[in-house]
This record gives sequence, structure tokens and C-alpha cells, in this order.
Amino acid sequence: MTKTMMVTGASKGIGQATVERFWATKNDLDTFVLLARKSTEFDELREHLMAENPWGKRFFHHEIDLNELDEIRALLPKVMGEVGSIEYLINNAGYTLPAPIHEVRFEDFERTMHVNLYAPFVLTQGLLHAGNRFEFILNIASTAGINGRSGWLTYSASKAAMIAMSQVMKEELSIYGTRVVTISPGRCATALRRTLAPDEDPSTIMQPEDVAGVIELLASDHGRFVDSQNLVVRL
Amino acid sequence: MYTLALLNGGLGTRVAAGQPKQLIRVNHIPAMVYPLVAVDPLPEVTQIVLNYPEGWREEIEKLVHDYAISTPITYVPGGDSRHDSVRLMLPHCQNEHVIVHETARPLVTTEEFSALIASAHENVSYMLEIPFTVAPVDPDTRRVTGYLDRDKLRNVQLPQKFRLSTLEAAHEYAREHDLQFTEDATLCAVAGAEVYFIPGSDRNFKVTTKTDVKLAGYLLGAEGTDD
Repeated sequence: MTKTMMVTGASKGIGQATVERFWATKNDLDTFVLLARKSTEFDELREHLMAENPWGKRFFHHEIDLNELDEIRALLPKVMGEVGSIEYLINNAGYTLPAPIHEVRFEDFERTMHVNLYAPFVLTQGLLHAGNRFEFILNIASTAGINGRSGWLTYSASKAAMIAMSQVMKEELSIYGTRVVTISPGRCATALRRTLAPDEDPSTIMQPEDVAGVIELLASDHGRFVDSQNLVVRL
Repeated sequence: MYTLALLNGGLGTRVAAGQPKQLIRVNHIPAMVYPLVAVDPLPEVTQIVLNYPEGWREEIEKLVHDYAISTPITYVPGGDSRHDSVRLMLPHCQNEHVIVHETARPLVTTEEFSALIASAHENVSYMLEIPFTVAPVDPDTRRVTGYLDRDKLRNVQLPQKFRLSTLEAAHEYAREHDLQFTEDATLCAVAGAEVYFIPGSDRNFKVTTKTDVKLAGYLLGAEGTDD
């Protein structure tokens, strides 16, 4: 039986590293659905996957801004038509524009909530309504959702909500035998981190590939032994 | 192939006021959803006949849609009694074999449905040993009238399975003799059919009281997992 993995925010950071790790490994995942905004990084990822495909896997890609919830709703029937079912969902896409409360533009708070919280909800609920039965859903939150820091109001609020939403999904989807896992990476060398901490040397902190390795463990048969809580992944 | 006849019709007053008993929610998920989800993956079950309390059809169809149950469903109004609800579902059953279950038993598992289907006999009920003593009494005079050997008694559970023609004949027998039963395994046995039992699980209890709802929620939730 072949299985499909959908990854949001697939073009960069933890999303890209996760796609590349599962793509390069011999496993039962042979189809990938990649969602990201249009970018040169997304183009390069696709070229790379086509050039290095040792196990004969395939991918479908969709350029989409997850801020646009109606676009997600419109996309889902198309995706289900392409792949039939999605066994693994990695809700990775994240957005932030740090600002202290006095400077937060409400529109930006809304965008943060759309991308980080509502988009994973709309994706998951839409696929459930379409009759999809997930085996594994990984929701990527953040240590920022556990501890607030000055300037991270919108991001921290969205990630705290993601942690709570994911815990509820874990209980509710257990009736289908779906495993819902929450991880909260600490500082990790991604473009988003660069926005949050512009002065940091990315080479000194955790790399996206490290988080992808943890995701591979969580998705494996051994993952069930460590997935009961929001798992903090940090150096 | 099998039809699941899922009892969901009676207006219950025992659990919560204002809602039919079967629209009780366990961990906020409607109790009727659990058996539907449990049976949906089974290829042997190609039809579900689901009855609904008067006035609730739209709500129940929406739940079936929201929870994306893929097995085709035939909706039938509930009867005046449990006995009648089963009888009214029978003409809508399209398969040779019928599984009878009730939404008030949300803890039933896919494996329990599979094991029932796999049982070699045609007419089979899950039943449990009785861990306590029951006594025959005269309720009017409150006189104890004798003794019942609990080793020869069983707690009748659901799900049950029957050959459709056997269940139809049993309901015809009940109609002719003006009898009403509270479940169908003993009805079929009284009507002359060979009915067998397989041991059930004490987890698959009937959710009747508020305490039952809490207990079911506990067992279905994360807290119910043994540490």
C-alpha cells in the first residue's frame, strides 16, 4: 500500500527539510503533495526532487497563499482528485511579522492567525469532510507558543492556539486511529527565525534538518512512544 | 454481505432532558457517530439502516455528512418501541444478513463487529457473564419467588447478527402472538431459531444514565488509557 504525505510551507525551512528527508528515504510514502507560496525556492525544490529521485516517488505541487482560506477550500477537491487520500499531513507553514502591541497592525495579526491556525484547521477539517482518514497529523507549533517574548505577540498567540487545537484534535481523531502529534521547535535556522531574531548567527542554532529527523522518528512506529505531549525540540 | 440496522430512534428520557437519548454526546461527539465510524471501514457491511427520532432526520443526516460516513445509509423513522423500531427497519435491509446495534453503545469497536461477522453461526449475540446474583420476585407483593442459576444466565449485549429471513420470521411470530421483546436474540430463540452467543466485553456497556455518559467519556478519552 502506498501512502501520501501533504506538507504545507514545503518550499523552505522545516517543511523543505522534511520533504527532502522522506523523499530520499525508502519508506511506504511514495506520493507527496507540496503546498507553498510561489517562490524561487519552491521552483528549486521541485527541480531538486526531480533530479534526485532514487525510489521513484512522485509529487504534486500547488502554489498557494495559506492566508487565503477560500483558496484552500477550493484546492482540496483538486488534491483529493489527484491523490485519492492523504495519510500523513504536516502542518508546517508559519508566518510572523514581529511587532510590540503598540505597533501591531490588526491586518497582520489576522494574517498570522490565518496562516498559523486557521489554515491547518481548514485543511484538516476539509479533508475529514471529504472522507479522508488520516494516519498521522503533525502540527508544528513553537516554543513561542509556550513562552511569550516581547515583540512576538501575534506569533506566540497563534502558536499557543495551535498547541491547544492540536491537543483537542488528538483526542477527537483518536476514534479513527489517527495519531495527532504536536511539536514545538525552539530556535531553528529558518527564514522565519531570521525575522524573529535578525542578529543571530544561524550556524550556531538547530538546523531544519535536525527537526526533520525528529519528525521522521515521530512518524515511525517508535513515534507513538514519545508523542503523548507537545514535544519541545530544541538545542 | 451485511446490513447494519442501527437503532437510533427512541425518545429517551433517562439521560438528559430535551434531547432524544441517542443524540447524547460522549466527549462532545454524538454517541451515534462512534458505531458509524467503527463499522464504516468494514467491506462486509454494504448498507446501514439508521433510524431517527421524529423531527431529527435533518440533524442526523448532517452529522452523517460532517463525519463523512461512506457506507450508504437508508433513513427510517423510529417506532413506538425498540421492538417496533427493529421491525420497521427490516423491509429496508437489502442484504441476506443483518447486524443489529444501538447508538447507545458507543464503545463498540471495529474488531467486535469483525469478530461477530466472522462467527461461524448465522444468528449470534454478544453476551456477558453476570457477576452478581439476580432473584425472581413478585414486584407487587415483594416476595422472593425462587432462585436463578447465574451460570445459566447472560447479560444480553449488542451488536447481534441474524439471517434477515430468521429475524423477519421472529418478528412475524411476535406479531401473531402479540409479544414485545426488548432485544432480538431472545426473540429469535423464543420463535424457534438457533441463536448462539460469543463473550462480549464489559467496555461495550449501554450508555443509559448520566454516570454512564461520564464513564464512557472517561474510557474513550486520554485519561482512560492505562499509565
